[in-house]
Amino acid sequence: MAVTNNAPTVIARRHSFAAKLLTLLVGLVAAAQIATWLIVSRDNLREARSLIEADLRHATLAFTNIVKDRNNLLGDGGTTAARDYAIKPLFTDPDEVATLASALPSIAGSIHADLVVALALDGHTLASAPAGEIPGGVLRKLIAAAELDESPTPRATGYAYHRDRLHSLVLVPVRAPDTVAWLVLGFRIDNALASTLHEQTGIDLTFADPQHRVVATSLPALKARTLLASPLRPTTDAALATVPLGDDTALVVSRLLPAGDGLHASLYLQYSLEEKLVPARRTERILLLVSLGSLVFAILLGLGFARRLSQPIEQLAAHTRVIARGDYITPLTLQRTDELGRLADAFRAMTAGLAERDRVRDLLDKNVSPEVAAQLLRDGATLGGQEREVTILFADLRGFTTLSEKLTPQELLTLLNRYLDRMSAAIEAHGGVIDKFIGDAIMALFGAPVPQSDAANRALDAALAMEKALVQLNAELAAEGIAPLAIGIGVNTARVVAGNIGSSRRLNYSVIGDGVNVASRLQSLTRTAEYRTSLIASAATLAACCQKSSLGAPPASSASPGSSPSSASSPSSALPTFRPLGTVPVKGRAEPVVIFAVE
Amino acid sequence: MNSRFLFFVIAALAAHLPLAADQGSVQVTVKDNKGQSVADAVVSLLPLDTKPILAPLAEPVIINQRDQEFEPLVTPVIVGTRIAFPNRDAIRHQVYSLSKAKRFEIPLYGPGVGETLLFDRAGVVALGCNIHEWMTAYIIVLETPFFMKTQADGLAALAALPPGRYRLDVWHSRLVHEATREVIIASSDVAAQTIAITLRPNTGKRRAPDGLGGGYK
Repeated sequence: MAVTNNAPTVIARRHSFAAKLLTLLVGLVAAAQIATWLIVSRDNLREARSLIEADLRHATLAFTNIVKDRNNLLGDGGTTAARDYAIKPLFTDPDEVATLASALPSIAGSIHADLVVALALDGHTLASAPAGEIPGGVLRKLIAAAELDESPTPRATGYAYHRDRLHSLVLVPVRAPDTVAWLVLGFRIDNALASTLHEQTGIDLTFADPQHRVVATSLPALKARTLLASPLRPTTDAALATVPLGDDTALVVSRLLPAGDGLHASLYLQYSLEEKLVPARRTERILLLVSLGSLVFAILLGLGFARRLSQPIEQLAAHTRVIARGDYITPLTLQRTDELGRLADAFRAMTAGLAERDRVRDLLDKNVSPEVAAQLLRDGATLGGQEREVTILFADLRGFTTLSEKLTPQELLTLLNRYLDRMSAAIEAHGGVIDKFIGDAIMALFGAPVPQSDAANRALDAALAMEKALVQLNAELAAEGIAPLAIGIGVNTARVVAGNIGSSRRLNYSVIGDGVNVASRLQSLTRTAEYRTSLIASAATLAACCQKSSLGAPPASSASPGSSPSSASSPSSALPTFRPLGTVPVKGRAEPVVIFAVE
Repeated sequence: MNSRFLFFVIAALAAHLPLAADQGSVQVTVKDNKGQSVADAVVSLLPLDTKPILAPLAEPVIINQRDQEFEPLVTPVIVGTRIAFPNRDAIRHQVYSLSKAKRFEIPLYGPGVGETLLFDRAGVVALGCNIHEWMTAYIIVLETPFFMKTQADGLAALAALPPGRYRLDVWHSRLVHEATREVIIASSDVAAQTIAITLRPNTGKRRAPDGLGGGYK
């Protein structure tokens, strides 16, 4: 039983309250953790992008500043070099151009310029070191810008390709004391510059020419080419672009550096998103661990909580089964102060109520016959009744008064109960209902409350069985040294009123009517010595008996004892023998009653 | 007698002496493009029909170096004038020019009159000092005796002009475009000319603060 029950229990547990509670708790924690993780992850990405954007702006500014600083240094250096009064006249004397050209490399060397170009006042190139051309448009623009500069040290800056190399240029006037010529000084935009900026800002820089070739970069050459191979193009709004670079993602801002005559250079500043996300990823990993930890904790907590909640419920359920078995003795060992405790208390109260009811029922069973008890329980205890044919059996102990004088009251009661027990058993075995015990007398009904077609047969069989039982009881009593008991039984069949009789507070299922008195009278007639019998039945009983058992063979007043047994088809094996005893008057009845001794 | 004095005399003649029948005069007001009077502009009239008589002064014109500045800032002279650059400071100066009209350099010299140079080519000569970068002066060498430097009110009054056609030129150290026009001077006539010129911003080479360069005077 227990083994077969196991499988359904496991299945049931899956849908159990505990499982639902656990699922809910774990689900809530998991949802909260996932939401937190997603929010943190999203914010980290946003933060990283924003940090990179700030870094890139900073690097752009650093680039601008470093170029400005170097331009200023070169400008100051150039101005100082041109002030030399040995060199200054060379700018204004057309015959001294060769000398001027020879002087430029030493100027470049002394101020660490990569490029020095001397211009006449009108902008045409006097000399250049190293030799090469800067587009005239660039120079004209620089001169125009310098002429507009109202500062004491006017200068103009820009970018230009000189011998295909990108340079940052600064133009300063040569004064004697008015401006008599211009000097252009430049430094190369090369890998060294990119690396310097990278060291300062941590940002990678790549310069590209109009054909999108690498001019200078702080990146490994291959990576720089990959960057420039992307569809990235410089924009003027300096918007942040996301460029996938192999297994990495770079955020890039670009700047367009005009280099004159329709040329330009592009500057790309980039930072690896993954690199910036490293601390965020670490935080996310820790968060993930914390999440998993709290999930495990939630599961354990949920399990514990669910157990605490479901265990008493299961205990209660188990106890329900105990009670269903009718065991009101086993106590419910659930001591709690919460709602479940109150439920347990209610359960105990209910058990007590059930036990009380059962005790009542038991007492009912003992005090009334089970059939009557069942009818009472079924139909309720209502007054009222119905007329029906019932066979009434009265039995009484002979010489009980004498016996009672010889025994102690306890012994007497024990003996009486023993006797009544045997008799009751005999009556109930034949479908009779004990109506009441009246001292040592028994009144039993056949055919009520449950109608029985063979009530008379059953009554007579029961009466004979009682006599037989008494014989056996007497044998037992003889062994105990107690004098034998003797009984007298009267059986009558009559139409009586059956129902619950009594007050509204106390009822008895019983029958009333003349037939009951007749049965009682027949019982007392057994005392008559000349009848020589202990069992007397009325003609009505005989008639009912024979009508039922011998199919229409009317029981004659002188019915032979052997005529009936041959035709017996009733549950009882054979009809008893009836010996007519004549008629007896009965008090309250006009007609006398014909009686028979049954043997 | 310096050139300034000469102009004063000419102006006085124009203003107070009864005018000869064959002499006219002109009053030129120079303003910049903001309407401000321009001082230290040189207004010159070059006769177009006759060749003027150029009679440079016998004595050299003086451009002093005082308090580490040239003075005056602008000096108009007739071609052939000799100019001296006396050093009135306690320190030494090295005056030079890289202008086409007169390339020269006077090596470092101390207090005293110093060298006197002849300016025999027309043109503008920008003077500088190799020691003191901020020192600047201009000599305007002209092929006409009819010229005058504007005063603070921007006015240059030229008189005793033989009637006829002239080319009127205005020069200024920060002039952007040449200001040239033709004028006709009639006898007994006082022509009034207002000339607006465009000047570059005055970026002027600034003199170092006193603490740095003004210790010796």
